[in-house]
Amino acid sequence: MMTSLRFAFSWRPARTVLSVGLLWLGLAVVATPAIAALRVVTTTEDLAALVREVGGDRVVVETFSRGYQDPHFVEPKPSFILKLVGADLLVVVGRELEIGWLPPLLTQSRNARIQPGGRGYLDASMNVRILDIPTGQITRAMGDVHPSGNPHYWLDPANGRLMAMAIRDKLTELQPGDRAFFDQRYADFDRRLSEAERRWEAAIAPFKGAKIVTYHRSWPNFTERFGLNVIGYVEPRPGIPPSPRHTFDLIAEMRTQQVKVVLVEPYFDLRTPEAIARDAGARVLVMPPSVGGTPEVSDYIKLFDHLITSLVAALTAGR
Amino acid sequence: MDLSILPFLAAPFAASLILTGIHAYLGVHVVERGVIFVDLSLAQIAALGGTIAMLVPAFGGDPHAPGVYWVSLAFTFVGAAVFSLVHSQEARIPQEAIIGISYAVASAAAILAMSHSTSQSEHLKEMLVGNILAVSWEQVLKTTALYGAVGAFHFVFRHRFLLISIDRARAVAEGVSVRFWDFLFYASFGFVVTSSVAIAGVLLVFCYLIVPSVAAMLYADRIGPRLAIGWTMGTVVSVLGMFFSVQFDLPTGATIVCTFGLVLILMAFAKPLFRRGRLARPG
Repeated sequence: MMTSLRFAFSWRPARTVLSVGLLWLGLAVVATPAIAALRVVTTTEDLAALVREVGGDRVVVETFSRGYQDPHFVEPKPSFILKLVGADLLVVVGRELEIGWLPPLLTQSRNARIQPGGRGYLDASMNVRILDIPTGQITRAMGDVHPSGNPHYWLDPANGRLMAMAIRDKLTELQPGDRAFFDQRYADFDRRLSEAERRWEAAIAPFKGAKIVTYHRSWPNFTERFGLNVIGYVEPRPGIPPSPRHTFDLIAEMRTQQVKVVLVEPYFDLRTPEAIARDAGARVLVMPPSVGGTPEVSDYIKLFDHLITSLVAALTAGR
Repeated sequence: MDLSILPFLAAPFAASLILTGIHAYLGVHVVERGVIFVDLSLAQIAALGGTIAMLVPAFGGDPHAPGVYWVSLAFTFVGAAVFSLVHSQEARIPQEAIIGISYAVASAAAILAMSHSTSQSEHLKEMLVGNILAVSWEQVLKTTALYGAVGAFHFVFRHRFLLISIDRARAVAEGVSVRFWDFLFYASFGFVVTSSVAIAGVLLVFCYLIVPSVAAMLYADRIGPRLAIGWTMGTVVSVLGMFFSVQFDLPTGATIVCTFGLVLILMAFAKPLFRRGRLARPG
């Protein structure tokens, strides 16, 4: 009797401790997702780089299109749907860049949070400076026209800052507890970007107004920002080979205007631009327009470091 | 394998089953007639129609406008008419030549039309090359109804279609209007292919059409068993292809195409095992 009573007394506190412990454990398990990192999916590596700058270790970022791929054409894989299913936030370039492949996947994911217009959907182009927006009626004579403007807007660091700001606001909205953290990381990125911008502008300053030809219209924001003068395009329409007249006129124009550099994105065939450059006495420069385009371009600031360095080298050699 | 992907593969899998159903059957005709590339050619003609329709200001350059679909269907019927006429007029010219020429000219004409289009060429590629991973249930149901109708039509007139495909000379001798039935065949075929390509893309549709039929010919001569083998192979390959696609995270359409090739090779190697019930000797 005595022993059994003593056993009962000694057992009760242990049980209390155990149940309280279990309760806490349960709470911790339930509470963990709320304080865990936000799951962010981006369509391109440029967006992923900016999300990392602002979100740090409070976000887990995954991306679909690699920097060396053409973001217009992405071959969807089953894992894309799973990433979308689990995402808290989807960041897109917008301006119809992803129109060929993203919408059906997004519908398939049935993740209501990240549908366009949802809280977890961020179109990074909404507050940046967009070029080439057609005004008035679009006619065939205008050639290749993106009705909502040129989607390669991240190639101006001023836009990169605005995009980072939009990302900061969105992350804060989704995870208000980390406001100070995101603010601090954004401020740090802003400071480093401003420093870098002065460095890039100084490097390119001697070549202000330099005339170049680009393969496709991927660089208007970049060339506007750094004072380059694009006098023509190798392939005015994607996927359509240029007519002999266009090629002939372009070579003649390059000769008269003393163009020394033809900029080509890494996912285009080099044969046509190389033939044109050879005839016009210029050189072809392959430049990745995105983070991850080459292994050393691992973040947003390094992207411009790489672009400016290789461009300056090519322009110097062409002098 | 991550099982949470399965609900998202249900619609693509259902789509692959309908594709197997109609294409393995049409494939028997296509292989018998020796017009292997007719689907690529008709798909390209349909795409040309779509491209030209997008130049019409009334459709506003929208590849999904209903008018665009009808124009591309009309082009398909013109192609069907050409194929059925050429066959009966000049027996010396192989029909594959006409099909090849149509393919090349239609592709080039689409490029010319695109160079006058204001909208991005991405739209056109999107229209030409569907992605089976992104197929919706709505598309699956619509396509099922469409293929059901075409399948029923072919079932009702199966004797006539098969007679012309397998023994053309006898059909002519029996006084069948070969030219008319040829047109019906190519028109219904073009109808199916145009929709299939929008779902699954050119490569995958070609495989669903030709590979099961060829694989079946390795093992059977009569139409019934050939259809059974073709349907089984199409289904097995769809399951396997989707499994590989998930397991190794590869683009689904291309994975199924390669699985078709792999399974066909295996079936060809296994064939001697079935012959006269003994193992084949090497060499």
